Amino acid sequence: MLTFTLRRISLFIFTMLVLTLLSFSLSFLFPGDTVINHSGQINATVSELAQLNQAYQMDKSIVNQYGAYLTHILNGDFGQSMASQSPISKEIIELLPATIELSLVALLIAMIVGIPLGFIAAIKHNKTSDHVILSLAMLGYSIPVFWLGLLAILVFSIGLGWLPSAGKISLLFEIEFVTGIQFIDILLSDSPYKWQAFSNASAHIILPACVIALAPATIFIRLSRAAMIEVLAASYIRAARAKGLSFQQIIFRHAIRNALIKIIRHVGLQFANLVTIAMVTEVIFSWPGIGRWLIESIYQRDYTAIQGGLLVLSCFIFIIHILTDFIYAALNPLARGNKYGS
Amino acid sequence: MAVLTMSFKPTLPLLISAFVSLLVGCNEGNKLSLSERSIIYCSEGSPETFNPQLSTSGTTTDAISKQLYNSLIVYKGKNNTLGPSLAKSWHVTRDGKKITFYLRQDVRFHQTSYFTPTRLLNADDVLFSFNRILDKNHAYHQVSGGQYPFFQSTKFTELIEKIEKINDYTIRFILKRSDSSFVANLATDYAIILSAEYGEKLLNKGTPHKIDILPIGTGPFKFKEYRVGSLIRFYRHDSYWQGQAKIEQLVFDITLSRTSRLTKLLAKECDVSSYPIAHAKIAERTDLILESITSLNVGYFGFNTKKEPFNNKLVRQAISLAINKQAIIDTVYHSKAARAKSILPETSWAYDTNTPEQGYDPVRAKSLLEIAGYAQGFTMDLWAMPVQRAYNPNALTMAKLIQADLKKIGVKVKIVSYEWSTFLRRLSLGEHQSFLLGWNADTPEPDNFFTPMLSCSASETGNNRTFWCNKEFDQLLQEALKTTNMKQRKRYYAQAMAIINEEMPLLPIAHSKRYQARGTDVVGDILSNFGGISFYQAAKINTNNKADDMVNKVSN
Amino acid sequence: MAREKIYLEEVFPSPFMQLWRIFRKTPVAMVGFCCFILLILLAIFAPIISPYSPVDGNLDMILLPPAWHVDGNVSYLLGTDELGRDMLSRLMYGTSLTFGLSFIVVFFSLVIGVVIGSLSALTRGIKSSFLNHFLDVVLSIPSLLLAIIIVAILGPGISNTVWAIAIVFIPQFIHITRYAVKEEFRKDYVLASRLDGASNFRILYYSVFPNIVERLMSQATLAQSAAILDIATLGFLGLGAQIPLPEWGAILANGLERFYIAPWTVYLPGLAILFAVVATNLVGEGIRHALKLRKEN
Repeated sequence: MLTFTLRRISLFIFTMLVLTLLSFSLSFLFPGDTVINHSGQINATVSELAQLNQAYQMDKSIVNQYGAYLTHILNGDFGQSMASQSPISKEIIELLPATIELSLVALLIAMIVGIPLGFIAAIKHNKTSDHVILSLAMLGYSIPVFWLGLLAILVFSIGLGWLPSAGKISLLFEIEFVTGIQFIDILLSDSPYKWQAFSNASAHIILPACVIALAPATIFIRLSRAAMIEVLAASYIRAARAKGLSFQQIIFRHAIRNALIKIIRHVGLQFANLVTIAMVTEVIFSWPGIGRWLIESIYQRDYTAIQGGLLVLSCFIFIIHILTDFIYAALNPLARGNKYGS
Repeated sequence: MAVLTMSFKPTLPLLISAFVSLLVGCNEGNKLSLSERSIIYCSEGSPETFNPQLSTSGTTTDAISKQLYNSLIVYKGKNNTLGPSLAKSWHVTRDGKKITFYLRQDVRFHQTSYFTPTRLLNADDVLFSFNRILDKNHAYHQVSGGQYPFFQSTKFTELIEKIEKINDYTIRFILKRSDSSFVANLATDYAIILSAEYGEKLLNKGTPHKIDILPIGTGPFKFKEYRVGSLIRFYRHDSYWQGQAKIEQLVFDITLSRTSRLTKLLAKECDVSSYPIAHAKIAERTDLILESITSLNVGYFGFNTKKEPFNNKLVRQAISLAINKQAIIDTVYHSKAARAKSILPETSWAYDTNTPEQGYDPVRAKSLLEIAGYAQGFTMDLWAMPVQRAYNPNALTMAKLIQADLKKIGVKVKIVSYEWSTFLRRLSLGEHQSFLLGWNADTPEPDNFFTPMLSCSASETGNNRTFWCNKEFDQLLQEALKTTNMKQRKRYYAQAMAIINEEMPLLPIAHSKRYQARGTDVVGDILSNFGGISFYQAAKINTNNKADDMVNKVSN
Repeated sequence: MAREKIYLEEVFPSPFMQLWRIFRKTPVAMVGFCCFILLILLAIFAPIISPYSPVDGNLDMILLPPAWHVDGNVSYLLGTDELGRDMLSRLMYGTSLTFGLSFIVVFFSLVIGVVIGSLSALTRGIKSSFLNHFLDVVLSIPSLLLAIIIVAILGPGISNTVWAIAIVFIPQFIHITRYAVKEEFRKDYVLASRLDGASNFRILYYSVFPNIVERLMSQATLAQSAAILDIATLGFLGLGAQIPLPEWGAILANGLERFYIAPWTVYLPGLAILFAVVATNLVGEGIRHALKLRKEN
């Protein structure tokens, strides 16, 4: 486990270096003055500009410049947004939790729906229900997510009037910002309308979360189906059956547990996918998350925000990736071995 | 095994739908109290500032002016006559150079988490508010940039000699010359009253810029929070001098996308929406109302009176007679605009109902052309503006309709268009023969329609793109500004409009409307003819109760 | 070389032909395949067969609903948009943008990926380990996110989108080629030709590639369905094809404004995207299914 941890940590540090280097070089690639791209201070006066040049060591070698940039990043200073002139770290801290919250709920829905369906398909291997589930899954991951979102709004918000179409809570509820995770903030708040706010927030998250969940759910269906088929063919299942266990006992006591372990690693991978789908969905459902913010920054050519947003988002995805690796390794000792090399 | 899966499949969707209906159910049931006391307004953009003195953008005035502030006087009633507000009365000396305002003595400023007023409104606040604009050495003049666009364009600073405080509740403006539009300008959404006490407090703290970010005013709502690009939250100002507003909370949901605004409106996520699209869709819903007011603007077809053949009055008249305005209004404005009889909209107080209108008469047009010596017709350029504006939603289509109309009297039209800034620049150089453009009034003051658009001085600066200069017309405008007698002024403007109708430097086409949509449960006026919207009168009613009432009435 | 002709009499179909025979027997896959061919033809011949211009509109025919609607007009089969442009023509042209470009993008990435992948398969040690880690990192970032990042750097536009997606898709082809080549190199027939004195390159070209081509094709169909979705999504977000290009995602975004009065301007391009992705996925599924059956036989 130690070598495994060390390997992951070195990989993490290496990747972070690459990512910051990339983000650092973006300031040179983007049009305009490098130091302004770093800091986002478009209205800086001459003296302020000189100060910035000093702070980012622009007069020194490129290595020093990178060092200065890294120091700023490590201190949580991503500069300020060119569009709104407020600090990017502040904006990200406000927006990232909303995206995480939405993605987590979507992941949960995708797992709750996808994994059992996959198991059912595997148990019913090559029967009608297997084919039906597989066809639905294929349709599910072929639908463009933005189109699905629009149809969902048309049907559930406007046609049936069941669920709200935009935002994460009705604007009438005034919820103090604490963690950024809406549900936790509501529970922490002392608003007299706490429980209405809670149910209102739940109603707001259902539609976007379900839209995001569709594609990952279809992938979970395929993964869990494959895993279950493999497990059911394993010798220990045959042994269990020979021992006279009933089919249900075999499934619930042995097969599901072993099949789940195989899936867990993919949950982390899917999370990255999910965050991307969430970015698009946020635009459609006006969800105040980092995806919508990033896409708007691209429209507005807010280079400092693009830089900071990309860095944080890719770091976040990578951290999730490594975390799932750890969980997987903790659950499954076989995975700790040396995978690569000659 | 079969039993297991069979039982599993139908229950899952059932569970989900049960969960959903549970949430929606308790949502509807309990939230009513809160939503009944609040209004969510889907607005089309973010305000630039929270002080209307600093801006002329309609979005900003809509959001803040009438919600947070009051001015000394206001426009009231159907005829938009001036009425009292923070000043309970006012007096203008005979020479029109001294204007005295007598202030109300019961006006309270907002009490918020960041400021607690210790006194009522008095003359110091008025002095503070106007001196900030007038006095270049005032501590607040340069705060937030030192630009006061409305006051600069109306030459406010040049006009005022000084402002005197007579006593705590009396204040006098002394002008360098008489100007009847001056009082009107004080009634605009820009001439609001700030709190001097708050200004002083901020100055002592060293944070004067907060006066324009965390506003304190006397209006019916007080500022609660602003999330950039997302929302503005107001709460009711409980001790408002005109009595409390009917709603407790007002939220501006800033929604830039027109489709999103419509979606939110249809999904009942906002109660009122600005500038809605898809009017037909809204009209077919029984729970929504589409409303509109004719705002102060005019879309017109102008002629370059310095160029052949439009230097001939008869040609201008002939072309004007040949154009079917009603067809344009039906096609381009989807019948949603008022046909313009003259440049001044009918909603203006100075509008004279007897104003003549150039009709549609292609036969007479043809004969006028013959008299003018163009029996064979001619070829002309028509410059169509490339952008969409409230006064002209589709200039290209309008140009095509005009082209078809003029073809009937033997005039061939070539449609020209440039990129917007190039278009305006070349227009002001006078390269065109005729053009489609419009005018959005900055103030309800009628002069705003005449002087900037058609006066001789405007033709020198290039703002008058017809380059028409009529001494008699200019004289009338001058006279109208010298007097404060509204009847007298109205007469002058009626004469001016008669000259326009005779000389035809331009053909006014339409006064377009401003649209707004709301749920049927929102009552009370929100739109006003001038300036920004106001939610002071707005209230929510319970539509279910209303339906019950109606049932009761029927059974009785 | 001449000897091959002698053995041709003993019909022993190539792996690829075997696959095709199995593939042909799956009706669903064949339907997908026909649709796929249809889309390719449309993408090539759209300018010739589309009835109207995709960019110039007829202002007299604004917002016509599709022909089957009461107010529809048969000469505008799928209706028109807000500028009177024929939806059918726009969607046809869109085929060459959304579908055609995705096809070209995938082909391009495939070629580059195969070259780099097979070269890297022949290396070992540190370099190999480094590449592996690097690929792992890149592959763990979703293609759409990477494409958005690259478009953010290059700026919006259809050509930048194409470049971005091409770059994004190369690593997966490197990855799969690398593994497939390594696997094949361990097999006996490679050893046999090596003993014959064949160079690595010769083995790759004559022995290994014919055996891995269908796996690459299967990966390519996966990539293409993702590419279609990515191009359309970027177009929808306004980061890809710009107005007035009739790219499906951009058409859809353009129709959003009139979603409630002219819903066909939104659901038709959506259906077109869905159709193209399903057709591609059906082909891919067919190939994978056939591969599995061939292995079992």
